[in-house]
Amino acid sequence: MTLLNLTRAAAPARLEARFLILSGLVVLLLLLPVLQVLSDGHNYVLHVLMVIFMYVALASGWNIIGGYAGYTSLGHPVFFALGAYFSGVLLVYKGWSPFWTAPLAGLLATIFGFAFGLITLRTRGPAFVISTIALLLLARLVLDNWEWVGGSNGLSLPMIGWPYRFYKIPFYYGMLLTALAAVWVSYRIRHSKLGLFLRAIAMDEIKAEVAGIDTRMCKVIAFAISAFFAGVCGALWGYHQTYLRPTIFLTIGAAADLVLINLVGGRGTVAGPVLGAALRVGLDELVVNQIGSTELNITVTGILMILIVLFFPGGIIGALRERGRLPRLLDWD
Amino acid sequence: MALLEVRDLTKDFGGLRAVNRCSFTVEQGSITALIGPNGAGKTTVFNLITGLLRPTSGRIYFQGRDITAMPPHRITRLGIARTFQITRELAELTVLENVVVHAARDGLAGLIRGSILQHEAERAMALLDFVGLAAMAREKAGKLSYGQRKLMELAGALMAEPRLILLDEPAAGVNPALLEEILERILQLNRSGMTFLIIEHNMDVVMNLSHQVVVMAHGEVICQGPPEAIQQDPRVLDAYLGAA
Repeated sequence: MTLLNLTRAAAPARLEARFLILSGLVVLLLLLPVLQVLSDGHNYVLHVLMVIFMYVALASGWNIIGGYAGYTSLGHPVFFALGAYFSGVLLVYKGWSPFWTAPLAGLLATIFGFAFGLITLRTRGPAFVISTIALLLLARLVLDNWEWVGGSNGLSLPMIGWPYRFYKIPFYYGMLLTALAAVWVSYRIRHSKLGLFLRAIAMDEIKAEVAGIDTRMCKVIAFAISAFFAGVCGALWGYHQTYLRPTIFLTIGAAADLVLINLVGGRGTVAGPVLGAALRVGLDELVVNQIGSTELNITVTGILMILIVLFFPGGIIGALRERGRLPRLLDWD
Repeated sequence: MALLEVRDLTKDFGGLRAVNRCSFTVEQGSITALIGPNGAGKTTVFNLITGLLRPTSGRIYFQGRDITAMPPHRITRLGIARTFQITRELAELTVLENVVVHAARDGLAGLIRGSILQHEAERAMALLDFVGLAAMAREKAGKLSYGQRKLMELAGALMAEPRLILLDEPAAGVNPALLEEILERILQLNRSGMTFLIIEHNMDVVMNLSHQVVVMAHGEVICQGPPEAIQQDPRVLDAYLGAA
């Protein structure tokens, strides 16, 4: 018992410093749009950060099923597209703002994820990956041919009615809140029974099942929660783009992005997807700035990612932890 | 009524009949050994009882209840825990987590609670203490020796608060000192009322430990009885030494 008490007693003091720094960072991010209000010219910064927030939310959500449970999903763009089209259609036909239909879009993605998971999460390993690819292709087929939502031509959405100078700000906040919620949920799951069970499933599903864990239900729940954040992000991103088209969302590339972000940052860790998302977007922007927006930026990011994965198989967080050099600031597990 | 009853259990893998019309019982409070030459179908019977495999035909009753083809986690919750021949530890989890994973929980609401509750930690630590692994509680399970993993699996099985524990070759590959330890724990648990079904090749262990012996060969149960009687049975000698 002394062992337990020792680790418990030591924890609060460490938490404090880390908690202050991280909440300081959040406050800073919350205040940042003031810059744009005071003087024009910061839309680019807000934009890049907004994209980072989106990838943080998407990748942290993906990590719940893909990292903790170890079930690689390539179907998450479907939830993203589902959210985008749901809120987009409501905006076009009803005039309802995606800012408040976004949570509903997330909920719809959750329900859809739950139903899809019930069917496909009976499978283990590669069969599940294939089933998610099938879902992706199927969704593409449906959206390409469903004229009511624009078919392959897509659906144009009305622009947000804000002055141009401020128009990034609501999206910035929307994505920031989604990202914070995603990281918080991911953290809570990591430290809950569900998280323990998911990690057990990732390591040895048969052992987990024999230990008395309803592995299928745990996986389905994880998948459904995971889909929520993709749905919300889709709703916000679609509105921001003012144009929905199946080809922007439903690609294997978009699906692979989430896998890569997690691999680079550290799959199955809380901080991994956050770090990975920041690097992924940051690198991409850097390359675009240096050599322009060509196919090259995708290639360069791709190569960099491959190198990181080759030399740090556990991702950045995993590699640092293995060497005992993970700063406490980033150790959220 | 027997605690566990296996009735006419049959399992085919394609054209191969691994288990053929197996019937036997495990009495409440007993240590029952399941023995037989390699390939007799013993581990397959374990996998059928615990739900990892579905029988081709036949029934399994636990406390009078039909548990045939239930999902494994439900069978565990009903009170059957098991260990594996080749231990299946969750290598990246700590020893403590490996034990706590077996704890019973209540429904969906149980999932959002803390990963290790205080009372679970206390119980798991007591069990780890019982098997002599308390000092290793915070280590990754992958660091344990083979014998220690067997002890950890035993602690995990106990964490599930079972009525029946199935042990698949608890003595195999364990050094003599640790084997003594494992056997002592099994006897101790049995004295306090725990029922065991044990697959074992080590005949000394079987004869010293068990009250009942079930002998399998070629997927069939060839006899069941107390160890003294089994030793004399010509069918058993035949199965082990005969040309078949």
